[in-house]
Amino acid sequence: MERDSSLLDDYVLSLTDAERPRVCFLPTASGDADHYVVRFYRRFAASCDASHVSLFRRDQGAGGVEDDLSTHLLAQDLIYVGGGNVVSMLGAWRAHGLDDVLRKAWRKGIVLCGPSAGSLCWFDEALSAFHGAPRSVRGLGVLPYSNCVHYDAEPARRAEYHRFVGDGMRPGFAAEDGVALHFRRTRLEHAVSSRPDGCAYRVEHAGDGVVETPLKVTYLGKTPADGPTAAEPVAGAAQSTAAPRRTRTRRRTGRRTAAKAAAVAAAASGERLPASPEPVTA
Amino acid sequence: MSAGEPGAGARPDVPVAERMIFAMGGGGFTMEPANPLLDDFVLSLAAAKQPRVLFLPTASGDTTAQINAFQARFADRWCVHEHLSLFRLRDARRPLREIVLEQDIIYAGGGSMRNLLAIWRAHGLDSLLAQAWRAGTVLAGLSAGAMCWFDGGVTRSSGPPEPLAGLGLLDGSLTVHADGEPERLPVWLAGVRDGTLPGGWALDDGVGLLFAGLRLERVVSSRPGAGAQRVDQVAGELVRTRLTPELLGDGRQSALGGVDEAVQELRRLHRMHRGLGERD
Repeated sequence: MERDSSLLDDYVLSLTDAERPRVCFLPTASGDADHYVVRFYRRFAASCDASHVSLFRRDQGAGGVEDDLSTHLLAQDLIYVGGGNVVSMLGAWRAHGLDDVLRKAWRKGIVLCGPSAGSLCWFDEALSAFHGAPRSVRGLGVLPYSNCVHYDAEPARRAEYHRFVGDGMRPGFAAEDGVALHFRRTRLEHAVSSRPDGCAYRVEHAGDGVVETPLKVTYLGKTPADGPTAAEPVAGAAQSTAAPRRTRTRRRTGRRTAAKAAAVAAAASGERLPASPEPVTA
Repeated sequence: MSAGEPGAGARPDVPVAERMIFAMGGGGFTMEPANPLLDDFVLSLAAAKQPRVLFLPTASGDTTAQINAFQARFADRWCVHEHLSLFRLRDARRPLREIVLEQDIIYAGGGSMRNLLAIWRAHGLDSLLAQAWRAGTVLAGLSAGAMCWFDGGVTRSSGPPEPLAGLGLLDGSLTVHADGEPERLPVWLAGVRDGTLPGGWALDDGVGLLFAGLRLERVVSSRPGAGAQRVDQVAGELVRTRLTPELLGDGRQSALGGVDEAVQELRRLHRMHRGLGERD
C-alpha cells in the first residue's frame, strides 16, 4: 500500500496462487487506524476476499473479524501486516495470542507480508527507533535473522544497524524504502523494488568488523526499454555471497511440515503509512 | 529498556498518603464534551499552579478523536498539556521515562484494557507509571484507564465482558459504566463472588473515586443520579454497600445530557448486537 505504487502489492498477491486470494489485514501497529483500514479495502477489496482484524474494536462490531481470530487467520492466503509501531504491535498481539497464530499461519504456508513494522515482526531481532535510542526488539522469529527497514530514510540508521550487528545482534537484512525481501521458508529468494534505484543489503559479522553486501534487487516496474521484469533469484547474483544459505537455514520446527510455499514476503517498503495524518515509525 | 531504573529526572518518592489516583467509571472529555466538571476536578488535584498534564490514549489505539477531545478540553485551561502516542512518530524523540516522570497529572483514556496493559508493558510504561505515582504524579483515567490502576477489572477487549488483572497499584477491583453498559456488572459480581476478582467498586458513568495512597478519600460525580457501590464477598455471599457521590459544580448538570451522543448511539448498537433490544 505504497503511496506511489502498487507494484509490491501485486508482487505479493502473485505469490498466493489463488485466483481470488483471501487477504486479511492486521493494522495493529497503527492502533487500527481507520484511514489505514479504508486504504486497505480500497486497494484489495476488488480483487480479493478482503477482511481485517482489529484488536482495539473487538467489542464494537466495526466490520472486522470479531469471533474466532485464529480460525479466520488460518483460512487466509495472505496476511498483510500494516506499518506503525512494532513494539506496541507485538505487545498487543501477544495479549491476544496472535503471535502463536501467525507462527502457525507461516508453518501452514500462508503468505505473510507487510511494510516497516510489518516486516520487522517476522524476524528474530529487529532494530527499532522509537522514543529515544534505537534498540533491539525481539520479533516472532520465523526468520532467523535481524532486520532493519527505512535504511535510506534516516542517515543514522545504517551506522546504528552496523553497531548493533557488531555488538552481537544476529546477522540480517537491511532494506531501503520501496524494497521488499521475499523469503521462502527461511531462505531469501528475491529482493524486489518498486523503485528503480532501491537497494537492500546483507549485514553480517566478518572478522572483527561488520560487512555490508549489496543484494541483487529486481525493479518491478517497467523500464523504458522493455516490459515488466521478472524477479531474478538473489542467489544467482555473485555479490549476494549466498549469505542466507550460510546462516542457519534449518528451522527447528515447522520447516518440514511446511506446505507448498511457506513463503514470507517481508516487505520493507516504507513509504511510511500512506494516508496517515502524521508520520509513523517502526 | 531503562524503565524502572533511577536516573536523571527522577523525583524522590512522596509519603504514601500524598500519592493520588482518580478513577472514573466513565465521563471526562471523551464522554462528556459539554461537561468539564470531572476534568476540572482532575486539574485541581495537582499541587502545581499550572500543572503539566499528559494524556495517554493507548487503550483506544491513539485515536485522533480522543486526542482532539483532550486538546479541546485542556487547550484553554491553566495547564501545560500534551499527549503521548505509542503508535505515532510525533514527539517520539524523547525517552519515555523523561516524558512520564516530569508530569503532574497523567490521564489515561478508555478503550481496550487488555491492549492498554500489554502495550504499556511492552514499552516498560507500567513501571514508569508506578514510579511517577510514588513520586507524587496524580494518576487519573476513565474506563480501561481507571480499572488499570487496580488489582483487576472487567474488560470487553475481546468482545464479551471478562475479568482481567490490572497493574495493582490500588487494592481491590473496579468495574465501570455500571449504568451505561449493564452487561459488565453481573460478570464483575460473579468474579467477586467466586474469588476471581477481589472485592471493590462499581461506578456509574460520571462517578469518580479519589484515592490518597490506598485509602478511598472522596466519591464525586459530574451528574445527579449517578451512583457507586462497594461490593465484597463475605463467606461466599456478596455484601453490597451503596455510596453516595458528592455532586461537583452547581448540581445543574443534566442526568441524560451528560453522555456524548455518539457514546449513547454506540451503546444502543451494542445492545442490538447482543439481542438486548432498544431500551432508551
